[in-house]
Amino acid sequence: MSHMKKFIFVVLSVFILSTLEVIAQCNSEAMSNQCIPKLATDFNFLKSYRVEKGAKEFVEYSYVFTKGTQYMINICAGGQATDGIVVSLYDSNRNKVASSKVNGQFISAIAYPCNTTGIYYIQYTFDGSTGYCGGSALGFKR
Amino acid sequence: MSMRIALIGLILVVLSACGPGKKPDDQAFLESLDSAKTEGPTISEEVIGDILQQIPSPLEISMILKESGKKYNVTYLNSADNRAKYNTNYKKALNLGIYGTDLGYTNIYEQNQDGVKYMEAIKDMADGLNIGQFFDIETVGRLATNSKNLDSLLLITTQNFNSINHYLQTQSRANLSVLLLTGGWLEALHVTCEVAKANPGNKELQETIGEQKIILENIMLLLSFYKESDQNMASLLNDMDGLKKVFDKVNITYTYKESTFEIVDGVMVIKDNSSSTIQITNEDIVSIKEVVDSIRGKIIS
Repeated sequence: MSHMKKFIFVVLSVFILSTLEVIAQCNSEAMSNQCIPKLATDFNFLKSYRVEKGAKEFVEYSYVFTKGTQYMINICAGGQATDGIVVSLYDSNRNKVASSKVNGQFISAIAYPCNTTGIYYIQYTFDGSTGYCGGSALGFKR
Repeated sequence: MSMRIALIGLILVVLSACGPGKKPDDQAFLESLDSAKTEGPTISEEVIGDILQQIPSPLEISMILKESGKKYNVTYLNSADNRAKYNTNYKKALNLGIYGTDLGYTNIYEQNQDGVKYMEAIKDMADGLNIGQFFDIETVGRLATNSKNLDSLLLITTQNFNSINHYLQTQSRANLSVLLLTGGWLEALHVTCEVAKANPGNKELQETIGEQKIILENIMLLLSFYKESDQNMASLLNDMDGLKKVFDKVNITYTYKESTFEIVDGVMVIKDNSSSTIQITNEDIVSIKEVVDSIRGKIIS
């Protein structure tokens, strides 16, 4: 009888703990939404991106940038400004155009006045991150 | 014994709470979507989602037209009154994209009366595709009454369309998302061609049209995934192939040069030292416009 009680206790404990874990999971969608109003005021919102470490070491999105248009990409994370999240931009030939980590400093936003229309890859990596969880927004202006 | 029954009951309750159970309402809703499903694409929906997210917002083109001083012209757009003609999911999805571009155009030019008509047309199309819940017509309508709300209006409209696309992809209805984005892109190209016709020799407009060659390649790739399972999309792909033949004459060359940057007020401002050249003639523009008009004519009729 006492074994049965222990078993019920274990099942309930596992259930409650797993529920708490779900609650504590990364809410990258909320963070990406928080990033939208942080775009500079003259930029129009285009996309919000979830930045959450999965099986790969990086998170990547892509978008066609247009010549003559200026784009802004920012990073939001819980706690510290960027929590070690770095955004890098690559052109269609995978040449690196920009990286938000410079001289050991993490920059939370990059502005890119595009001179060449094409597909660009927006890649997020984690450098000393504690939460591996964040969000980002992309905006444009002419 | 009673303890064992209680234990089995508890485990069943826990499992059913964790499982993918559906409420009767959810089930009915999902069943109602079945008519919109196709046999399926020939590639994973994840790959389709990756390509779909690359397609630029038609708002960017409307902004180019406004910023370059081109005047608003409602006759370029698909009449909102045409919405009653669209009775299939195929036509509804394409014209939802078209009306979305038209709404963006009216918003950017702050033509609120026309904008309200397009909002209603969009709501009709979205309801017909069971995605009306993502278009908050009341909020959008309220924002449209005051030009000071332009930023909020553009933001909410963009968010609504992003939500629709995301939802369609999670519901294995990415085919509709492909059509929505195709319609939106085609309408933006149509409007640009109309403005270019009214401003012959305008280099910026010609380049904007020429650059669409890159997007067309993506659109055709997306449509090709459905050519075996969806006759309408196969036919649209065939039409797009005609457009590709005209765009093949457009030549885009790139010159890469490493970028530089400076930090301004905490923002890294990149200086793009690369460049691109777009070779496109007046004749190319005329040919592109003819094919675009023909494809669009089939869609909006």
